[in-house]
Amino acid sequence: MISFILRRLLLAVPTLFGVLVVAFILLFIAPGDPVQEMVGERADAATIERLRRELRLDEPLHVQFASYASGVIRGDLGRSYITGRPILRDILERFPKTLLLASAAMILASITGIAIGILSARRPGGWFDRTALAVAYLGISFPVYWVGLILILFFAVILRWLPPSGYGRPEFLILPALTLGSRSIAFLARVTRSSMLDALSGDYVRTARAKGLRERVVTVRHALRNALIPIITVLGLDFGYYLTGSILTETIFSWPGLGRYVVNAIARRDLPAIQGSVLFLSVVFVLVNLLTDLAYAKADPRVAYD
Amino acid sequence: MRSTALLVLAASLACRGGGDASGDRRTLVDSRDNEDPRSLDPALSTDVPTGRAVAYVFDGLTRFTPDARLEPGLAERWDVSPDGLMYTFHLRQGVKFHDGTPFAARHVVHSFRRALDPASLGGRPTPLLPIKGASDFNTKRATDVAGVVARDDSTVVVTLGEPLAFFPKLLAMPVAAIVPDSTAKDFGLHPVGTGPWKFVEWQHDDFLRFAANQSYWGGAPRFDSLVARIIPEKSTAVAEFESGNVDVLLVPEADTPEWEQTDERKGLLQSAPALRFVHVAINTTRGPLAKREVRQAINHAVDVGSVLRQLFGSRGRRAAGVIPPILEGADTTRQPYAFDPARARQLLAQAGYPNGIDIELWVSPVYVRLAQTIQGYLSQSNIRAKLVQRDAPSVREAARKGETDMSVRDWYADYPDAENFLYPLLYSANKGVGGNYSFYANPEFDRRVASARREQNDTLRARLYREADALAFTDAPMLYLFFYNELYAVQPWVRNFQVPVIFNGQRWLGVELRNRGGR
Repeated sequence: MISFILRRLLLAVPTLFGVLVVAFILLFIAPGDPVQEMVGERADAATIERLRRELRLDEPLHVQFASYASGVIRGDLGRSYITGRPILRDILERFPKTLLLASAAMILASITGIAIGILSARRPGGWFDRTALAVAYLGISFPVYWVGLILILFFAVILRWLPPSGYGRPEFLILPALTLGSRSIAFLARVTRSSMLDALSGDYVRTARAKGLRERVVTVRHALRNALIPIITVLGLDFGYYLTGSILTETIFSWPGLGRYVVNAIARRDLPAIQGSVLFLSVVFVLVNLLTDLAYAKADPRVAYD
Repeated sequence: MRSTALLVLAASLACRGGGDASGDRRTLVDSRDNEDPRSLDPALSTDVPTGRAVAYVFDGLTRFTPDARLEPGLAERWDVSPDGLMYTFHLRQGVKFHDGTPFAARHVVHSFRRALDPASLGGRPTPLLPIKGASDFNTKRATDVAGVVARDDSTVVVTLGEPLAFFPKLLAMPVAAIVPDSTAKDFGLHPVGTGPWKFVEWQHDDFLRFAANQSYWGGAPRFDSLVARIIPEKSTAVAEFESGNVDVLLVPEADTPEWEQTDERKGLLQSAPALRFVHVAINTTRGPLAKREVRQAINHAVDVGSVLRQLFGSRGRRAAGVIPPILEGADTTRQPYAFDPARARQLLAQAGYPNGIDIELWVSPVYVRLAQTIQGYLSQSNIRAKLVQRDAPSVREAARKGETDMSVRDWYADYPDAENFLYPLLYSANKGVGGNYSFYANPEFDRRVASARREQNDTLRARLYREADALAFTDAPMLYLFFYNELYAVQPWVRNFQVPVIFNGQRWLGVELRNRGGR
């Protein structure tokens, strides 16, 4: 197991290096001049020239890349062109907030989504199944942006139960988590349902029932356990996306997370901040994938890594 | 995986909360900032949220009122030498920084030097560059700024390289704010100034908190604390206002009719013409656009009045020049180009394009609907515009390089003077990065603007501005659209609020909060 983890981490290094190279080149090709964004709307050519020199943006691309990469190896992501603050500190300040939101959304989505999926699978074609199916399709089809605004309108402006936006006490977490999780609820419910239907038609389920086990035990202990692999896959993928891409939700709810940091960095052409965030998020994604793989083994002893 | 998540969740439950809407109102919550300030260090100020915050924490030698008049700040008064080169600033006595240090003339010298220091990477010292020797110091050709001298503890003498009549206005800009002797490395995160509000807390992308400076020389603010929330999404800011969590709101353009036509909301609105000019720069060096008739045709082809009504809730005044009507030098009698497609086609034919022309119109996401509407009007006059949609930095870069035929532009004033419109937008030396996206060059225009910059007599200066503006208007180096009106919604418990028409004109001095009720 340990050697598996080590091997995976080692394999991640070339992946991350690839990400670094691609991000660097893409940003170099992309239109928009970082120095002009630094100095704002009004500037003079001399200042722009001086800054370009001082930021060493006038050097050839491979020289710039080498100095950036050597910084990264030493754990230094550089300083923001715009704020002058260290990138890593900025990222570490925001990431826990994104992690909190993603975790809350994930917990909400997995509890609700899996429960709906199981209930649907128990009586396929029944009224619950059909209603859940319809709701799930709606859930998948609504854009996040719209869901967020509707939730704000209803729960914050009309009912005044929850704050419309911001960060802080637990009540600030509910609406964004619901918004972010809504797609996963629907998707998880569908996956759980079909996976459960497969599992429930297995011979061992018939055996379990024949033994006289209660239906709850049959469903949860026997069938669900065997239906878990696809569910974990969806959970892992979604969690990875939430950690890296909850930009819309964070924007709508003024949530001070990493998604907004990345968007702002792009809008201001803050190259070190964009590169640093891309790299950091890639590391997160790699780790989440690794955790997902480990969860497979935990869920199903037949999956063995060595 | 899940147990970690729960741990994080539990840890956050112990965290503090945001604004509290209950009890006595001692805190004003502002919702105007839509992005995190870059820094709270005046030397790094280039964006609006930073400019607002710097105006709270710091003072300059001069400052702007909400309605953009210049008034004394840390300088009680000033004298100008007859040749317009030497400004003697008499400083206010008994002023203290938030840390207790008494303010003195040396702080002015230090602050200007610091903002101009080439080591302060990424600032925009442009407003201080007219000072003699400032440019040399900024480019490391000199070791000091020759033109700033503290004559004694309460007098600073500033010498300019050449006369600049509105120089005191430049000193009200954030970059010229006065900072203490020693500034820590993270001064941008822990600013100390002499301003009406002391810095308390900054949660990035979330909010900034300030406390009233009870010993402010201009009289203490009338409520205890000020919170500037950072809300990127306009609809969210509206929801926060409707829930009573924020006290001041910039009403989004699209929502204007809804607010103006609802009785209970109408009473909350306050409006003022802002120093903001929306237009489409026309590159006067590219293809058919080099001909004046073609540019005039473009101005006749678009029904600006309808555009203003349909897309901007009539929030603005049609432009017949680049100088906002509230500034000296504006000619309010000048008529805008009339909407006249027939005249537009005739002008095109005169210019030698009876079959019309093909051009590109560049636009960033915020103004796509405006650009589409303009495109529609232009096509009726045989001007076939292709929309090029890019994000703002890309449009800016292309326009500065002279690669755009036309580009939609929204210009905010840095300081309330007609020069801030005429000079950057149309002066020939400012082509490209300087702000002249029209690449307009007219020696007659230049001559007037250049002499206006030196002219000490306000009446004569206004006349030069007016003449220059009229010249450019005839040459049509842009599609003149409109001057924007700010529209604020203010909660009924906020008293004495005045709409700021310039970004750093609001210090909340004199504003009062009544206790709960009323809504």
